[in-house]
Amino acid sequence: MVDLVKDFGGLVANNRVSFHINQGEIIGLIGPNGAGKTTLFNCIVGYHKPGSGRVIFKGKDITGFKPFMTNREGIGRTFQLMKVTTGMNVLENVMIGAFCRTDHRSTAKKEAAEILEFLGLGEVKEYHLNELPIASQKKVGLARALATKPELLMLDEVASGLNPKETEELVNAIKRIHAERKITLILIEHIMEVVMPISQRVIVLDSGEKIAEGLPTEIVKIERVIKAYLGEKYAKGL
Amino acid sequence: METLKDAFDFRDFSKTERIVFGLFTLFLLIFPWLGAGSFVKVVLIQFLLFSLFGMGWNTIGGYGGQVELGKAQYVGIGAYTVALMMVWWNIPFWVSMPMGVLIAIGYSFIIGYPLFRLKGHYFAIATICTSLVLQDVFINWKLVGAAKGIEIPIREQPDFLYMQFKSDTYYYYFIMIFFFVAILYMNGFRKSKLGYQLRMIKDDEEAAESLGIDARWCKIKAYSIASAFVAVGGGFLTVYNFYIDPYSVMDLDLSIKIALMAMLGGAGSLWGPIIGAAFLVPLDRFLGSWLGGHKGLVGLDFMIYSTLIMFVSAYQPRGIWGIIEQFRRKGA
Repeated sequence: MVDLVKDFGGLVANNRVSFHINQGEIIGLIGPNGAGKTTLFNCIVGYHKPGSGRVIFKGKDITGFKPFMTNREGIGRTFQLMKVTTGMNVLENVMIGAFCRTDHRSTAKKEAAEILEFLGLGEVKEYHLNELPIASQKKVGLARALATKPELLMLDEVASGLNPKETEELVNAIKRIHAERKITLILIEHIMEVVMPISQRVIVLDSGEKIAEGLPTEIVKIERVIKAYLGEKYAKGL
Repeated sequence: METLKDAFDFRDFSKTERIVFGLFTLFLLIFPWLGAGSFVKVVLIQFLLFSLFGMGWNTIGGYGGQVELGKAQYVGIGAYTVALMMVWWNIPFWVSMPMGVLIAIGYSFIIGYPLFRLKGHYFAIATICTSLVLQDVFINWKLVGAAKGIEIPIREQPDFLYMQFKSDTYYYYFIMIFFFVAILYMNGFRKSKLGYQLRMIKDDEEAAESLGIDARWCKIKAYSIASAFVAVGGGFLTVYNFYIDPYSVMDLDLSIKIALMAMLGGAGSLWGPIIGAAFLVPLDRFLGSWLGGHKGLVGLDFMIYSTLIMFVSAYQPRGIWGIIEQFRRKGA
């Protein structure tokens, strides 16, 4: 159902990247810095307009849709850096996500509370974002995106800045989101410990091009991937 | 239905706030019977009017966080619609005022659509420009009285339909009703979907867009609501003063005053614009009459006035209400 085809002719950041994602999959998108991961991401959700090529979601051409439109089509996203704002508490933040699908405050409130409970944030819903540790802030970002009821959720470096224990917790949360809510996931990630155990398929980008695609276990054996991303030393260690 | 219930629901405010608000309501209701002089009455009418303006501005400027400095053009639209319809066709206030509001809303969509392509400082500058352009049009437009303005015909008998009374007390109660309607509306607004979405846009517009919020459309809607509010106030100005000209109802000075009062009181809160108006209107009036009369002291009132504003905004960017909340949180 989810079908993404992407070509960028002449665009430096992404050069003729094309791939296809099936419903219910977890995809890891990896690559060294400047590989064009975020650009690709932004083209899908609509922050950038691709120079050429198309993005097709559920059989519908959504190329050039604005971010709020892609969200209404069913694509949610989180941010690498969550802007720490003081204007609203956690519950209100998540409610705004829920308002995407409802006009009623009571419905939005109920849904937001459910999602916070689901992610184990029920106790902090009255707090403001700046009063929470970064791991919880990231979870709020996740909850907010989930509240818009996406069918495809794109996570931009969710684990950056977290310690191993927090990372593990977050990975578990992501697994549960996938298992219980049947959401297709795309993870953009630097941290291998996050990508490898949960991704069903990994796409590797380098210098704006797709250089490999396959199972996590297979991908680490491809020479080009090792050279571009994992590093020669890491490869020798294998 | 939920919105209507929300408008009358003040339960999420603290007990102190509700008591103060209750006492203040009582004061406003019985004020004309307290035997205050006509000058004080005029100041209070001004206060209610500017609270109304400020609450309107608060939708786009406070909750939406957009620095909007062109509200005077909508005051003007409201005022001119009432005045012209009364002079040309003898149409009562209660018909022309809603017409003025409708015209203001229509005009705000036309202006708002291109305006909200801009962000930040550019947006602020553009709002000033649109307002100045409209003022210039009215200054040079012979048909609507040009720079001389328009006088509305005075009736022999006080007339409710045309809102002409001999005593200020009637005007006072009249604007007070609008003031309370505005409070109820804003109380519902801050809990509405649009209210929440605007706060998200103010906090982080990029994230707001990722949550399915059409930021530009939300801003245009809020801008229109704000325009409708000030157009009501504009209509009131016409029947209250019997006379309007482009300098009194469309001046940049007025735009800035509206924004300033709301910001000083506390943008983005229900009480903010009211506190701001309660603080600045009397200050402006009393200082003006007290110091403006002395030779050599003319202008000193503006200096005191602006110094106070600078102090408050330097201490707490969220205004007087921000200071109150800061102390409350420390106490808690």
